[in-house]
Amino acid sequence: MRVHYYPGCTLKEKATNLEDSTREAMARLDTDLVEPEGWTCCGAEYPLITEKIHGLIPPVRILRQVEIEEGSKVVTTCAFCFAVLKRANKAMLDNPTLHTRVNEYLADDILIDPTTKEKRTHFESYNGDVQVLHLLEYLRDEVGLGHLKSLVKRDLSHIKVAPYYGCRLLRPQKEVAIDDPETPTIFEDFLNAIGCTVVDFPFKQECCGSYLSASMPETSNEPSYRVLNSAKMNGANVVALSCPLCYYNMDTRQDRIKEEYLEFNGFPVLYFTQLLAWALGADVETLGLDKHLCDPRPLFDIKQNAEDVEVNL
Amino acid sequence: MRVKLKIGENEKKFINRVNELTGDNVYRCYQCGRCSASCPMAQEMDLLPNQIIRKVQMGQEEDIIGSKTLTLCASCFACQGRCPKGIDIAAVCEAIRHLLEPKGKDFWGPDDVQPELAKELPQQVLVAVYKKFAK
Amino acid sequence: MKDDGKKKRIGVFVCHCGVNIAGVVDVEKVAELLKDYPGVEFSTDYVYMCSEPGQQLVLDKIKEDKLDSVIIAACSPTLHEKTFQSAAELAGLNPHQVEIANIREQDSWVHPDRDKATVKAVKIVKSMVEKAIQNEDLEPIKVGVFKKALVIGGGVTGLQAAMDIADQGYEVIVVEKEPSVGGKMIQLSETFPTLDCSQCILTPKMVEVTRHPKIKLMTYSEVESISGFVGNFKVRIKKKPRFVDEDKCKLCNECADVCPQIVPDEYNMGLSFRKAIYMPFPQAVPGTYTLDMESCLGTLPIRCGKCKDVCDAQAIDYDMKEEIIEEEVGAVVVATGYDLYDMKALGEYGGENYEDVLNGLEFERILSASGPTGGKVQRPSDGKVPKNVVFIQCAGSRDPENHNSYCSKICCMYTAKHAMLYKHRVHDGNAIVFYIDVRTGGKNFDEFYQRATDDESILYLRGKVSKIFKEGNKMIVWGVDTLTGQKVEVEADMVVLAMAMTKADGVPELMKKLKISIDGNGWLAEAHPKLRPVESLNQGFYLAGAALGPKDIPEAVAQASAAAAKVGALFAKDELMHAPTIVPVIEELCSGCGICVSMCPYGARTLNAVRKVIEVNEVLCEGCGACAAACPAGAAQQLNQSDSQIFSMVKAILRG
Repeated sequence: MRVHYYPGCTLKEKATNLEDSTREAMARLDTDLVEPEGWTCCGAEYPLITEKIHGLIPPVRILRQVEIEEGSKVVTTCAFCFAVLKRANKAMLDNPTLHTRVNEYLADDILIDPTTKEKRTHFESYNGDVQVLHLLEYLRDEVGLGHLKSLVKRDLSHIKVAPYYGCRLLRPQKEVAIDDPETPTIFEDFLNAIGCTVVDFPFKQECCGSYLSASMPETSNEPSYRVLNSAKMNGANVVALSCPLCYYNMDTRQDRIKEEYLEFNGFPVLYFTQLLAWALGADVETLGLDKHLCDPRPLFDIKQNAEDVEVNL
Repeated sequence: MRVKLKIGENEKKFINRVNELTGDNVYRCYQCGRCSASCPMAQEMDLLPNQIIRKVQMGQEEDIIGSKTLTLCASCFACQGRCPKGIDIAAVCEAIRHLLEPKGKDFWGPDDVQPELAKELPQQVLVAVYKKFAK
Repeated sequence: MKDDGKKKRIGVFVCHCGVNIAGVVDVEKVAELLKDYPGVEFSTDYVYMCSEPGQQLVLDKIKEDKLDSVIIAACSPTLHEKTFQSAAELAGLNPHQVEIANIREQDSWVHPDRDKATVKAVKIVKSMVEKAIQNEDLEPIKVGVFKKALVIGGGVTGLQAAMDIADQGYEVIVVEKEPSVGGKMIQLSETFPTLDCSQCILTPKMVEVTRHPKIKLMTYSEVESISGFVGNFKVRIKKKPRFVDEDKCKLCNECADVCPQIVPDEYNMGLSFRKAIYMPFPQAVPGTYTLDMESCLGTLPIRCGKCKDVCDAQAIDYDMKEEIIEEEVGAVVVATGYDLYDMKALGEYGGENYEDVLNGLEFERILSASGPTGGKVQRPSDGKVPKNVVFIQCAGSRDPENHNSYCSKICCMYTAKHAMLYKHRVHDGNAIVFYIDVRTGGKNFDEFYQRATDDESILYLRGKVSKIFKEGNKMIVWGVDTLTGQKVEVEADMVVLAMAMTKADGVPELMKKLKISIDGNGWLAEAHPKLRPVESLNQGFYLAGAALGPKDIPEAVAQASAAAAKVGALFAKDELMHAPTIVPVIEELCSGCGICVSMCPYGARTLNAVRKVIEVNEVLCEGCGACAAACPAGAAQQLNQSDSQIFSMVKAILRG
């Protein structure tokens, strides 16, 4: 299978463990990930007011490129990119004014084909026809969780995972939600399928402090701490998530959380793709586990080789 | 404290601009406060989200200008998701930030990033913050 | 149709309606311009045509000028058509010779331009003159009345309606789907604002209903279908098998004692358990046990069958079958009540996952002396007495975006009552109420709310709670106090949600069968929200209680009595007059294609397969005209609204 995949900038640099584990897992699902030619940053944040139309240009250009390459779907793992692409796509579908204005901007593009070096200056209007999917949706709807379960090579039942959705996968409900924003189950269903023990916790859709960790670093400690602490209190031994920004706040910044909350002694955070790749039998080296501030490696029983494990399905 | 309430041309202009930019109508808010109860940053704010909307309803632009709330909103949409009227308060904050001239001290520029953070911050954070809170 | 060339003598009466019409339309000019219109004998204007002198003017002119048709150019016919029809009748004119030209709602109220509105008024009146020229004298269709009523629903509303109808001397059948009558009210602890014990005031009524010689009670039964028309309905009632003979059962409880099957008790909102064979509550009416076959382990001796073995009275009959009972009635009172909004819809409050987050009815059971805790306030999870209880108003109400847009009306009062009763039982406890507005319109209601705050020191915080979650054995409530501008977090032992009232389960489906319209929220739609609040547009159906929308007990009871009075008024007549503006069939033109049969919403038209023509039940026909519009042959012509009349009206409008 071949599907378009939009990694986003962070995955190519700061979140290589998300990128690598995604690629590793998808290869094991026989899925070729194709990056749209010449993709740029999606803009990270969707413009919320009507006058900031320029914020729509990058995501729509990316989506148009997918269409030019005859893709009908684009998959993302970064929750921020997902929300921007999905909302921009919806605007092209639902908002005639934005549709016209954005396409007018994009009509001036010049595209040079990397192989033929031919110049392209004529473009069809982009009408929102590409389907934007988060990888969790792709796994549920395209791969199928039943099928996924049948491909699991390792026993992950000792990993008690608190699935953390954060904001971008669930809100605004009418535009991006991959599931019910108050009682979502898609993440849990996925974790169940790969054999993890799922831990329900009330902070799964509460904000981690987001990018305030850059502008007002001291403010993001509390919300991140509450998420981690809640996961721990409810019996989890790891938090799984899909957003490099949440990951930054909750793992990379754990030393600063510790400074503020003295009783806190660290809690591992993983990308869901790391668990997925591991379940599908990937080598532990491919998961980028050494990049984590709070070392998650004790959770990964290195001795457990994929081939040796008999999984009861 | 006593305030002389005035909804004159200037106030109306401000209210209308916020409505225009958000494509909504702030008077739809009936002040249940659920946005504030939902907001993960409320503890840091000088004006709660519902008070921001209230101040817009009352045309009190001056009171909002210096508020920290505007740069504490990270658009997590918890407020909007639970608002009984579906008002996008993150968009209201964005509209007000857009209208502010000059911007307050809490606004942000590339030089403001702490050097030790610059190395570790994910790209998306820098882009997002600059987009949201640029001076 | 009947255009035999005979010239009609038509009178035109143009009403000013104060400035309602005259403020925009030049009424004098309209009257003046109509004077010379063919067929018009007399034309005038008057300031209030509906006033006594206005009506007298019409009456006198009919006699004086020997008018054989009149046009009243005024407001909508829904308001005053009857007024002028009866005035005409007094003057000896057939009421169907009266036409209303609506120049208010359709003209002066919607147009600002005086000249154009005047031209339009003239056109509207002229078109009605054209219609009147072809109007015939029509006589009402008479039908008998079956003086027996059906009441659907055995809650306080249904019981009150049944009593009030029966006391007027008419027979009543009450159909209740549950094993006992009593409805929601029987589950309540005490009622606001008097704190009467709900059971103490309702059970006498329940007993009275069983003893009343004119009332037949059918519990554990449901209405399957109703056919016919006002005064003459045929009802099919499904009587579910109870597997216990009501007359033989001695209420000894031996059967329940031996029954091994335990299921959640509906009466206690699932907070306690009952057996598969059970009596819903001690004062249940009828006083009998019911075997809930869905929960039963099995009646064969090999499975269980223990209850039958121990029943000395031999009241248990496993072979009891569902019965369909047919009844004839003349009127129906619909009192199907309400349900609480599903807690599952409020994911942010934990859905139904937290045992110590209760809805209002569950808390009523906890407060009730007959409840699972005997009236002691204990929380369901561990039986501890909760010391901090949070009450949340508007749970699912006033939320057009996610839940219900309306205010559920009674929650402010019952929350104050809940908090007060909690404090009466747990003196050292804290009751905190989150509210958006406190609405206490009602006799002694605000005084009651003030008692809650003044005497019981209940803390009211103004703000809507955003989230509830569990931490250890506490429920953490995230709220806000908008009055001080603080986000607040409360550690509660128990939370009570004032869940929105919603349409009762299955009601939309039943109403579809009964052809009673419902509104967007599933509440029954009254014929007129102000002036016909207990009637349905479907004649012979009367509506009462919470099925129409959120309301408290006195209001529901008042509606029940009102509906009963309406039924009494209907039954006071021996014959009913049915409007004669029906759509008969011109048999020479009818090919029997049956299109009109499928169009008719009232089942008034049937195909006579032998004669290949349509036959019309005059009494069922409501004269909606759907068939007339659909008939390809023009064989369905509505009386006084024929195709020929409509064409003449259109021509008049186009001509000006």
